[in-house]
Amino acid sequence: MEDPSSRTAHDGPPGQVARGGSKSGGPAAHGGPPGQAARGGSNSGGPAAHGGPPGQAARGGSDSETDVTREIKTHFRVCRFIMESGVKLGMRSVPVATACELYHRFFECVSLRVYEPYLVAMSCVYLAGKVEEQHLRTRDIINVSHRYFHNASAPLECDREFWELRDSVVQCELLILRQLDFHVSFRHPHKYLLHYLMSVKALVNRHAWTRTPVAETAWALLRDCYHGVMCIHHAPQHIAIATLYLALNSYGVEMPVGEREWWQVLCEDVTKEDINAVISDLLQLYDMEAKCV
Amino acid sequence: MDRDLLRQCLTHHGESLFNTLQCEQTENPDFQAVASDLAKATYERRGAGEGCSLVEQFIARKADILFCPTWRTAVPREDELEDEEPYAIMPPAELFMEVPFEERRAMLYRDLERGDAVVGRINNIREYGFFLTLLCAAGGLRRDIEDLELSALCHIKEIPSTGSHDDPLSYYQIGDLIRGGVKDLDRYQEKITVSLLPASLCPRLAHIKLGVVAREELPKHYSRGLRVANDTRETYERILRGCHGYHNPSVVEYLLGRAGVSDDRPPSLMRGLQSKHFHEEDFATVIRKKQSASWALKCVRSGVDHFKHGRHVEAMNEYNKALEIDTNNVEALVARGALYANKGGMMKAISDFELGLETCPDHRNAKKYLCQTLVERGKQLQEQEKFVTAEGLYRRALSLDDSYPEAQAALRRITDTIQKSIRLREEATAKETEKAKSGKTSAQKLRKILKDEKRMKKKRKRSSSSSSSSSSSSERPSLSPTSTTSSRRRSKKRRRKRGGSERGSQRRRRRSSKRSEEEEEEEEYPAPPNTSASFLYRQGFLGSGAGRGEGGEEGGEEEEEVVVDDRRISQLYSLSAASEDEGSEPRGGDGEGRRGRSFSSHGKGGRRRSGEGRRRSRGRSREEGRSSEEGRGRSREEGRRRSRGRSSEEGRSRGRSREEGRRRSRGRSSEEGRSSEEGRSSEEGRGRSREGPRAPPPSTSTSSSNGQGGVARPPQPAGGGAGKKGLPANLMDIFNKIAKFEKEKGAGPRK
Repeated sequence: MEDPSSRTAHDGPPGQVARGGSKSGGPAAHGGPPGQAARGGSNSGGPAAHGGPPGQAARGGSDSETDVTREIKTHFRVCRFIMESGVKLGMRSVPVATACELYHRFFECVSLRVYEPYLVAMSCVYLAGKVEEQHLRTRDIINVSHRYFHNASAPLECDREFWELRDSVVQCELLILRQLDFHVSFRHPHKYLLHYLMSVKALVNRHAWTRTPVAETAWALLRDCYHGVMCIHHAPQHIAIATLYLALNSYGVEMPVGEREWWQVLCEDVTKEDINAVISDLLQLYDMEAKCV
Repeated sequence: MDRDLLRQCLTHHGESLFNTLQCEQTENPDFQAVASDLAKATYERRGAGEGCSLVEQFIARKADILFCPTWRTAVPREDELEDEEPYAIMPPAELFMEVPFEERRAMLYRDLERGDAVVGRINNIREYGFFLTLLCAAGGLRRDIEDLELSALCHIKEIPSTGSHDDPLSYYQIGDLIRGGVKDLDRYQEKITVSLLPASLCPRLAHIKLGVVAREELPKHYSRGLRVANDTRETYERILRGCHGYHNPSVVEYLLGRAGVSDDRPPSLMRGLQSKHFHEEDFATVIRKKQSASWALKCVRSGVDHFKHGRHVEAMNEYNKALEIDTNNVEALVARGALYANKGGMMKAISDFELGLETCPDHRNAKKYLCQTLVERGKQLQEQEKFVTAEGLYRRALSLDDSYPEAQAALRRITDTIQKSIRLREEATAKETEKAKSGKTSAQKLRKILKDEKRMKKKRKRSSSSSSSSSSSSERPSLSPTSTTSSRRRSKKRRRKRGGSERGSQRRRRRSSKRSEEEEEEEEYPAPPNTSASFLYRQGFLGSGAGRGEGGEEGGEEEEEVVVDDRRISQLYSLSAASEDEGSEPRGGDGEGRRGRSFSSHGKGGRRRSGEGRRRSRGRSREEGRSSEEGRGRSREEGRRRSRGRSSEEGRSRGRSREEGRRRSRGRSSEEGRSSEEGRSSEEGRGRSREGPRAPPPSTSTSSSNGQGGVARPPQPAGGGAGKKGLPANLMDIFNKIAKFEKEKGAGPRK
């Protein structure tokens, strides 16, 4: 199975094969890798058909909604799925962020109709574990996902269904790799945020700082922002600054004022507008939660 | 809700936030509790834009999370590891921000605290101390203070003396860089005093060395700040990327730990991601565990299926597979234990059951099977005369299930056995002392003294082992009804199971019997001079509890030493002696009867022969003393079977032996002047020998297990000599003693 697909990938420019497939729109239309993905997609239809995950319902939702908002909602739900799985799998924040970014970047270039989003999400989690060197076992990913779709059900038996699911996840991982042109390692805001936190902390009285849960809030905001496509549309530094800004603002922490604001110092090219844009995107996600769940 | 935090927030955002909060948190009783309190304060309104109202709405909506006391989980870790730089140590941000001088100075006096470390340059030395111009903070606070014109005094009392009578100040010169701890801070007078005593630092900075420092030792944030000051093109981000620590692959984990934020239970402001919504049973490790158990159970089921159809190898494979999938799976352990028990591997079975019970202490089958196996094993041990161990096993079985009738019965029997043997022993000693009082020859008295000495030495050692060895001899009659039936049943069962090896064992039996015939032939010697020695030996084995004469007692002493030193070998030893006499004699307990029988079958040569045989068997026991449990078990079975087969013949010889034995013993006892005792013992021996063949022989009959070696083995003690090399030193010692004793005996009372 893997051999022919990888050969196709190597014969031509790998990215083009995948991308060409995605543009043609239908899984049946292209041979090689996308065909495999379609197989994977159909397999993943297994759990979807049984449990009726939220994604399916969303797609069949009311007509009044535009396609765009429907898609955003689906992505929100799938990202929620990735994050919940991440917690259950004991993933650190950075691998979860990578998984979400992989997911968003994948669906940036392909249509949601062609690929089963939850299968892609599972593969993204798996791939992110590899990228961020926190290797996860497919068995755990499948188990956690299975329980997510079939609430409180017994774990899967070691039978054909399990192995097919596993095959789908692995095949889909290859598809994602080709689709993203093997560019799977990203620069995340996490590192920036933590360094900014250290610098900002030094500006504030230490007792005031320990009293105020700025670090927790900023970290929570940063994690939450991966529900949407913000991670693609904003620079990681800007996201880090914005989450920190919002966290400080939420608690009314007074910062010393000089010729330049603290955020101007930490990141040269960030403007007040950038920060506001990130914050407004982020706050929209919180509104979205009420609509989606 | 954290009222102070909320107030701080409201002060910052103003009245509008309070109004929004009241709208959004109407249903939150926590907020209602603090609302009236907060409403009293007036908040001056700051400039609000559109973005601001959005933020206020967000704060208001998430206020129950943001201001919840449990939201603040961070326990910041404050270890300063400047040497390694696990993260990018950045110059103070206010350096880039260009905060006005006055504000920075005010901030410093606000935030600097006692116990912080600072670095300064000496600008003035007086007789009461020196003055520093502060350069930078070196721990606790990370600020840019170089240009704040801060002066600090280090008093002469705060300088550690070097022990000599010199003036401590003479070590310091103007311009030296000094690292010191902030000892005191007067915020109003703006006076700082520093100290060079380590006690002046707060505990988490205690590792910092105070005193003169070199320029290279200055903190990283200061040296990096100097670079910024000198080069206007340097930006925060450029320095950040240039830092070694920034590229540390685990910098995120490190800084998260320092900030005290948990990445296992990550914080989130999303309602659906609150940690209370995560159930333990949804986590990967829990599911995996459950799944492994279920997969393992499947294997166990198919294993049980195999087992029911008699495919034991396949069953074992399935069980092992199950245990591979899920180590310590109770069902698999119990099933495998049962299979082991069925195959006779009692110890393996017990360990499996025990392991199973460890993980699941209430597993019914594991408990039940363990009880049964323990009792079964206990019986095996009892047959091997390891009474104490057997008793322990019974007790363990009862501790698991105190109403298990078989264990209760077995324990009762074994305690009876042990107690009776102890009583008999006491009687015997009582008799001895009585006898000692009556008239004696001087030689006897001397011997008695010697013996007493020896006994004193060994008293403690002996008590357990000798009681067990003697108990069997005294206790058989009371045991007989149950033990015989059960053992017979068991042996039958075993034979069924071991059907495959039947032929081999038959062959071996034939061979061994042939050998014993040969031996009988070649050992028809005229009565040797040292008969008393051989008799003593025998006496020794027969157990010291019953029927001991003076010589016999001494022999018994020697034997007991062997028993004490290595019970297993001594068992083999005595057993092999027995088995050479009779081929398949139940050992120990009916030694008395055995003696009688051996006398009868070998006529005059018998005594000599048994002595001979013992010496040889000693060698053999050395050679084969390490024969595996398994082999022993097998040969035991064979011995039992053989003994059963022979029982009719035995009966005949028994009749004879009884007579013979009695006659002999009486003869001897009259010779040694203690006829009554001997008579009793032979009487006892008779009773025992009657039941001997029925009771299974408890441990190896070496003649059968080592049939081949036995035939090839040279019949004379030479073989024993060869075997001696493999013996532990203490045993060698004992044997030497025995030999010496033998010699002495031969020369002693007999003459």
